Amino acid sequence: MKQLIISIGREFGSAGHEIAERLAKRYGLPLYDHNLLDEVAASHNMDSQELQEYDEMKHNKFLYRSINGMSSSPADNVANMQFNFLLDKAEKGQSFVIVGRCSETILKDYEGLVSVFIIGDMESKVARVQHLYGKSEKEAERFIREKDRKRKKYHDSRCKSKWSDSHTYDLSLNSSKLGLEGSVDFLADYIDRRMKGTK
Amino acid sequence: MIAQILAVIIFLAMFILIITEVWERHIVTLGCALLTLVVIFGICMHSPSAIIDTLNLKTFFTEAFWHTTGQASESSGGINWETIVFIAGMMIMVEGMAKSGFFRWLCMKIAKMVKYQIIPIFITFMVLSFVLAMFIDSITVILFLAAVTVELSQLLKFNPVPMILSEIFCANLGGSATMCGDPPNIIIGTSLGMSFSDFVTNTGLIAIVCLVAVVIYFYLVFRKELTSNAVTKNPADYPDPSEAITSKGGFVISWIIFLCAVVLLVTHSQTGLTVSCIGVFIALVTLLTAGRDALDLLKKVDYKTLLFFVGLFVVVGGLEKTGILTLLAGFIGTVSGGNLKVMIAIIIWVSAIASAFIDNIPFAATMIPVINSLAATQGIEISILAWALAMGTDIGGSATPIGASANVVGIATAAKSGHMIKWGRYCKSMAPATILVILISMVMIYVRYLP
Repeated sequence: MKQLIISIGREFGSAGHEIAERLAKRYGLPLYDHNLLDEVAASHNMDSQELQEYDEMKHNKFLYRSINGMSSSPADNVANMQFNFLLDKAEKGQSFVIVGRCSETILKDYEGLVSVFIIGDMESKVARVQHLYGKSEKEAERFIREKDRKRKKYHDSRCKSKWSDSHTYDLSLNSSKLGLEGSVDFLADYIDRRMKGTK
Repeated sequence: MIAQILAVIIFLAMFILIITEVWERHIVTLGCALLTLVVIFGICMHSPSAIIDTLNLKTFFTEAFWHTTGQASESSGGINWETIVFIAGMMIMVEGMAKSGFFRWLCMKIAKMVKYQIIPIFITFMVLSFVLAMFIDSITVILFLAAVTVELSQLLKFNPVPMILSEIFCANLGGSATMCGDPPNIIIGTSLGMSFSDFVTNTGLIAIVCLVAVVIYFYLVFRKELTSNAVTKNPADYPDPSEAITSKGGFVISWIIFLCAVVLLVTHSQTGLTVSCIGVFIALVTLLTAGRDALDLLKKVDYKTLLFFVGLFVVVGGLEKTGILTLLAGFIGTVSGGNLKVMIAIIIWVSAIASAFIDNIPFAATMIPVINSLAATQGIEISILAWALAMGTDIGGSATPIGASANVVGIATAAKSGHMIKWGRYCKSMAPATILVILISMVMIYVRYLP
């Protein structure tokens, strides 16, 4: 079977994670998101709780230093552990769905990679966040902006490519236009066409 | 006045940009160096001679750059090419050694000699870290030592963090013992015309006393954490040190070149060979004996660090030529009221505290003209201030995770195996050790050099 790695970047509240879950189910692939740290921790015989606090975080430049690609920042080191874990899986020819974690850039050399960025209209994202987190409209919007700001910082501090920039991904999709099911179907069609094209 | 203000602004901007890592540090220092040459020396001072002096290219064509007769002379300021050429030579030698499996073999051999017992490994690795760092850069020492420590910790089932922390401390301490151990020492030694034996008999002696103290300190602090959870294994199951050797010929040659480098450095005040001459010699021998791998070794030289030094020396030259550093020396002289004890205390503690948070290389390079001026105006023996500066800058970096390169490398190596070392974990044991060593150093300088 050809290798298929589906990388899903997403704005907060855009249902990117749920789309990733559905794609994983449709293709029968393992899904890696925040659970990636559990896998990484297990491979090092350690408690993933210790790593969780640094997941998708950007470090404070005044508190940490890096030398020749090595860093004293736990956030950088947790990110590198995840990147190495993903690279190892990809190198072994495994197929999977990965949410975030700079995966579209880290795995860009693998032919089986399909990278997608999910955006959404602010009203739809606010409504979704209100529903999921029980927040007021204003709180939800602030929450979304704060989460996206953190994700952008995390991504852009580790990659030359820019988070959410359409040049970074194979495809950018507004999930508010087609809805959840429609978006998944559209992406599955795109992925199938891509897979036909790969050797 | 404008030139002075601009020199300070460029210097501070360089520091901030290095800390924030917006650009790579060699880009920062080279950019600031260009500004210094064009804006300060060119536009403000209209002084082509300041540019020529600071670039200091003529030094390559002087006999003193390669060989000195009798008492070594002080460097003329500007870019300290002697330091840069020596560090480049050492980089090539160390690359050759690493390629042959030298460091891994040495670590594994020692672990085997102490029969893979944790506390003896802990103590011997501290001493090994100290001794290697006397001659080799601390980044390389920790890169290999910490990796082997992690490997042994997985084999013997112990927490590698205490061992890695104590190795980091001892690498930084070992660096203070010799002229070539830590970049600040090379800069101090070449700038002030000191020899390898000057360092060994002064900072070296202090460092050895401190080593005894820190081995005891780390043993007391970490002994409870260094217990093994492993079932005793058959010694035959442990890795064979000889497996680390990638090429037997290369390994033997590495040993010979390393020992030659040590002998040349130890005897350089007798032979008259300068450290730059020794650097060029060992680099050439390494490249000639590497055969087809020579190009590979050259490619692996850390040119970015060498360029960082070039830019740095120009920026510090800007401070020096505009008289800022003389003003700073005057300020220290006034604050201390001409009291040598207070001056030493200021230099060693300010250097240590500054080095705990910022790169100690720019700091040392900046402080050399300051202690030079201080010694001249206050009529003090410069070497006493130099030892205080060397110990402060070399040791201060151990106190925090960002203080020295070895710290970052050790922390990153531990993290690869899933052991995160946070600021609190790091400083809890390392900051007291730093204070202890700085105190011992200060007392030893007082007792030995003050009437």
